[in-house]
Amino acid sequence: MNDSLIGIVGAGTMGAGIGQVAAQAGFETLLFDISQEFIDKGAARVRAFLQRGRERGKISADEETRILSRIKPTLELQDLAACSLVIEAAPEKLELKREIFQKLDSLCSPAALLATNTSSLSVTAIAGPTRHPERVLGMHFFNPPPLMALVEVVRGEQTSPATIEQGLDVARRLGKTPVSAKDTPGFIVNRVARPFYIEALRILTDGDADVRTVDRIMKDGGGFPMGPFELMDLIGIDINFAATQSLYQAFFHDSRFRPSPIQERMVLAGLLGRKTGRGFYTYGEK
Amino acid sequence: MAKNELAVVGTSPLAKELAELAHEKGFAVNVHDSARGISSTVSAIIDVEAGNEEAKKTTLRKLDADFSRLPFVLSSCLGFSTSRIASWTSRPERVVGFATFFPLKEKKVIELSSGLKTEEKALSEAEAFYRALGKEPIRVKDTPGLVFPRILSMIINEAARSLDEDVAQAEEIDVGMRLGTNYPRGPLRWADQVGLDEVLTVLEGLQRETGEDRYRPAPLLKKMVLAGWLGEKSGKGFYSYK
Repeated sequence: MNDSLIGIVGAGTMGAGIGQVAAQAGFETLLFDISQEFIDKGAARVRAFLQRGRERGKISADEETRILSRIKPTLELQDLAACSLVIEAAPEKLELKREIFQKLDSLCSPAALLATNTSSLSVTAIAGPTRHPERVLGMHFFNPPPLMALVEVVRGEQTSPATIEQGLDVARRLGKTPVSAKDTPGFIVNRVARPFYIEALRILTDGDADVRTVDRIMKDGGGFPMGPFELMDLIGIDINFAATQSLYQAFFHDSRFRPSPIQERMVLAGLLGRKTGRGFYTYGEK
Repeated sequence: MAKNELAVVGTSPLAKELAELAHEKGFAVNVHDSARGISSTVSAIIDVEAGNEEAKKTTLRKLDADFSRLPFVLSSCLGFSTSRIASWTSRPERVVGFATFFPLKEKKVIELSSGLKTEEKALSEAEAFYRALGKEPIRVKDTPGLVFPRILSMIINEAARSLDEDVAQAEEIDVGMRLGTNYPRGPLRWADQVGLDEVLTVLEGLQRETGEDRYRPAPLLKKMVLAGWLGEKSGKGFYSYK
């Protein structure tokens, strides 16, 4: 097992971003995905991010080259066998993640940490079918990983205390601020942040205040950097709606997580926020 | 009646801060624990009491006789709809609700609401009053807690539940929300600043007025308020202050 080798499963936005974080922190990084196309897209995203960093004078051309040289793409999951830590950032499908963890569990040393970057699935459920669930944990990074300081280090039912200690330690070595949380729906952030969106949508639904008024009050009367509707437009109405639905399901339809019909209609209409040019607000032509 | 003579009723840090701000802006201000001692010469009354229904009723009933000439009474609608507060006096047309949390200092806007019977004149004079204090008034519809206190109280309620369920420790919840979503303060530290009793008042008000289960307060929040752990002002809340 190689202590300076980190494996990433999935080269999407989160996987590529976490890979970049690892490489920037000095780790040799293996970036796995199932097709060359996904790998190329992920690598291009990292290159573009680092290039912007260099143009803004945040990193030197030398550093840029060194960071990129530490990221090695692979199409063989087998190559991750020597890693001391693997972070999985595959699509949010439980069956897919369980399959990946069963494979990693038999490939990697029992001393290796196997982490999932899931934001909405249970770490306990992902670890369930593995032979060594004690070394499986959640390491939930925030988007975009190179810029967001937080990592939620999540303790599944069977995760050992030593695994959590190591997870906290490696998150710090990646330059992040970790917080540890129990494996419960939404962990800390996605759960506690729900009312910011859900209650704002409820206020809108009931006609208590309009979009602009709510955003204005939350910023100038509440001190939040962004209003809930602006922020939903930035995150993506579909992504935000899916997060609320997932919490609502996970809490067995507790009314405090009930999604908003307004938000569902916007998703169905394709009004997804900034990325489509229109959400709660209208943006430039897209 | 003396122009610019203001009676602030309430004992919270917000009442004191409002009084100080009005004093700075040239008002002659008296702060009262209850409505009983209000001088007959005042030109405006602000009832800052949030959750104590009897105390609020005593203040509002001042409108019935002694203060029937006052153009408006501003009353905190953190825990009651403005229409409900207005129902406690025979002059509901003069009652204007407002809702905000301590501290006022960094807030540019203050939310106001009218009850069903509130007259436009009372509302616009109340707005002029807040402008004189340097705060921009924003009108929203009549619900307990209006917009900001309502949304923040719901966030704090979820944070208190998470703490009670051992999802994470208080510091971790606060660090998570500051770094994960860029909140200016962690919700538990924020609760300590605004006062847990005020937060509970908003949640209980929403639960009472809507009859909806989604507003039920976290048991931990109720217990802490009963124990007198109200946050910074009492020396202990989710954190200790000594």
